[in-house]
Amino acid sequence: MAAVDFCLGIVVGLSFYIWKRHQFKHQLRLVFKSFSPRGDWVSSLPPLSLVRRELTYVHKQQQELARQLQIWQELIERAPIGFLKVDAENRLLWCNQQARQLLNIDRWQPEQVRLLLELVRSYELDRLIEQTRELQQQQVQEWTYYYTHYASKPQNIPSVNVAKKIKSLALQGYGFPLPEEKVGVFIIDRQALVDLSKSREEAFADLTHELRTPLTSIALVAENLLKRLDDPERRWVEQMLQEINRLIDLVREWLDLTQLQRDPHQSLNYDLVELRSLIFSVWHILKPIADKKDVTLVYSGTESVNIEADRSRLIQVFLNLLDNGIKHSPIGEQIVVEVKPTIQNNAADREDAAVEIDIIDSGSGFAPADLPYVFERLYRGDKSRTRQGQTKELSTSGGSGLGLAIAKQIIEAHRGSIEANNHPETQGAWLKILLPTKRKSLTKDR
Amino acid sequence: MTLSSSANHFDRNHFERSLLRVQQDVLRMGTLVEESFRLSHQCIFERNLDAARQIIPLDKRIDRYYRQIESDCATLMTLQAPVAQDLRLLSAFMQLVRDLERIGDYAQDLTEMAVKLVKYPPHSCLSQIEAMSEHAQLMLATSLVALADLDSSAGEKVKKLDDIVDEAYDNLYQILAYQSDVPGVVEPLLLLGLMIRHLERMADHATNIAQRVAYIVTGQRS
Repeated sequence: MAAVDFCLGIVVGLSFYIWKRHQFKHQLRLVFKSFSPRGDWVSSLPPLSLVRRELTYVHKQQQELARQLQIWQELIERAPIGFLKVDAENRLLWCNQQARQLLNIDRWQPEQVRLLLELVRSYELDRLIEQTRELQQQQVQEWTYYYTHYASKPQNIPSVNVAKKIKSLALQGYGFPLPEEKVGVFIIDRQALVDLSKSREEAFADLTHELRTPLTSIALVAENLLKRLDDPERRWVEQMLQEINRLIDLVREWLDLTQLQRDPHQSLNYDLVELRSLIFSVWHILKPIADKKDVTLVYSGTESVNIEADRSRLIQVFLNLLDNGIKHSPIGEQIVVEVKPTIQNNAADREDAAVEIDIIDSGSGFAPADLPYVFERLYRGDKSRTRQGQTKELSTSGGSGLGLAIAKQIIEAHRGSIEANNHPETQGAWLKILLPTKRKSLTKDR
Repeated sequence: MTLSSSANHFDRNHFERSLLRVQQDVLRMGTLVEESFRLSHQCIFERNLDAARQIIPLDKRIDRYYRQIESDCATLMTLQAPVAQDLRLLSAFMQLVRDLERIGDYAQDLTEMAVKLVKYPPHSCLSQIEAMSEHAQLMLATSLVALADLDSSAGEKVKKLDDIVDEAYDNLYQILAYQSDVPGVVEPLLLLGLMIRHLERMADHATNIAQRVAYIVTGQRS
C-alpha cells in the first residue's frame, strides 16, 4: 500500500515537474520571441545554452552600437560646423572642436558640467536655446558674436594701447529640441560671407562712382555734337544721348541707393508731410504718361494725414511705385491708393502710430516665383513681361530695375516697411507700405 | 570651483535649483551689460548712431533683470535661510547686479553724448579714449569670467587693470583741461571730459564686481 502511495507521489511530483518545465520553456520562448529580432528559435537546444546564445548576441550588438556611437561622436567632434548640446538647465553637456573655436570656449573640460553662459557670454545664443526649448521647434538665428578678451594671468596684463581686444564674428545658429528638454545647436561661421558681400558692395560703389564723371562728359560732348549735325547722323547721336542719359540715371540711382543703405537714418531731412497732397502732386508729374494709357488714380481713405518724413524721398518712392503701376496697368483701368491710420510694433515692444498705404493696380501682377525677389537690385523678374511693359517713351526710372529697391531702402530708412503682393480682387500688383507718423528720436525722451 | 558647481550635487533640492536659476540670470544680465558697453563704444568711435537707438530696449531689459534678481535673492535669503558660501553668494549678487546696472546706465549716457558729439570734428585724443574704453571692456569681461569661475584671485588682477584706466583718466584729464587753444564752443571738450569720467566709473564698477567675487569665495573683503 505504501509502495503504491509512494509511486503515486512520485508520478504526481514528476508530472508536476514536467508541467512546470514545459511552462517555463513556453514562457522562455515567448520572451525570446518578443525580444530577439532573429526569431530562429531552436527548441532542441537546452534553455541554458539558448540564454547564453542570446546574451552573447545582445552583447555583440551593444558593442557594435557603441562603436557606431563613437564614430558619430568623432565625426561631429571634427565636423566643420560647430555643435553644442545643453541640458534642461542650460548647462553645457558637449561641444565640438569647431564650436569651441568659434565661440572661444577655452575654459571647458569635458568632465565638468557648467552653465553655458559661464563659458559663452552671448545673449543671442542663450535666447536661441530658450526659444527652441519653449516652442519645441527648430529655430534659426543670425547674430554677430563679440568676444572680449580677458586678462587670464596678472603677469601678462595688456597695456592700454594694445588694440583689438574685441573680436567680432558673424554667426548663424540652428537650434534643435532634443528629448528631456535638452537642446542641440549647430553654429555656422558666416563671417566670410559677410566680408565678401561687403567687399562686393564696395567694389560696385567705387565702380559706379568712377563711371559718373566720364559719363557726364560724354553726355556733354554728345549734346554739343547734336547741335552741329544734320540727319541722319543727328538721329544716331540723339539715340546715343538717350542711352547715355539712361546710364547716368542708373549710376546716380545706384549711388543714391548705396548711400541710403550705408547710412539709412542720417541721409533723411525730416519735415511735416501731408500724404494726400503729396500723392496727388506725384500723380500730376506722371499725368502725361497716365493720360496716354487713360489710367486714372482713385484715392480713398483719410482726407489729410500728416507724417514726419523726408518729402523729396517720399516723392521718389511714390514716383517709382505709381510709375510702375501705370506701366503695368491695362488701358482705361484705375490705380487705387488707400491711406489709413494703423499701429506698428517698435523695437521696445511698444506700439507706435503709423499709416498704412496700399497701392493696387489692375495689371498682371507679380509672378509668384518673383515675389521674394522684387525688391532686389536689378531684379527684373520675367524678362518678357518687363520688356513688354517698358516701351521707350515710358521709361523714366523704373526701367533701371532699381525703382523698387530704392523705394524699399527709403521706406526702411524711415523705419517703415513695404510688402509686395498680388491683390486678390484685381489680380494686379499690391504694394503695402507702413510708415510711422512720428520720427523716432535717437536719444531717450525724458 | 566654478559658479554652477556649488549647486551640482546629485540630489538637488528646490533651493539649489533656484540658486542655479538666479546665477543664470546674473550671467545673462552680464552679457546684456557687455552688449550695452559695446554699443556705446561703437556709437562713439565708429560713429554708429543707430547704436543709440538699439541701446534703449537693452537698458530696459537690464533694468528688468536687475529688479528680478534683487527680489529673487531676497526671497531665497528669507525663505531658505542659506548659510556660508550660499549666503555670501546671494548677498554678493544683490550688490553685484547694482554695479552691472550702473555700467549699463553709464553706457546709455555715453551714447547720448556721442550723438551730441558727432557734429564736431573728432578730437585728437579720441584714439586714447578709445583705448581706454576697450580696456574698460576688457576689465568687465575679466570680472565676468572671474564670476563664472569663482576665481578669488581676480579681485587683485582687475584692481591692477583699473590702475591703468585711472592713469589714462588722469592723463586725458590733463590734456583736455589744459588745452589753451579752444576753437569755438567748449561743448566737445565738456563731452569728452564727461566721457572719460564715465569710462573711469565703469571701470570702477567692473573692479567692484571682481572684488565681490573674491568675497564670495574667501568671505573676506579686500
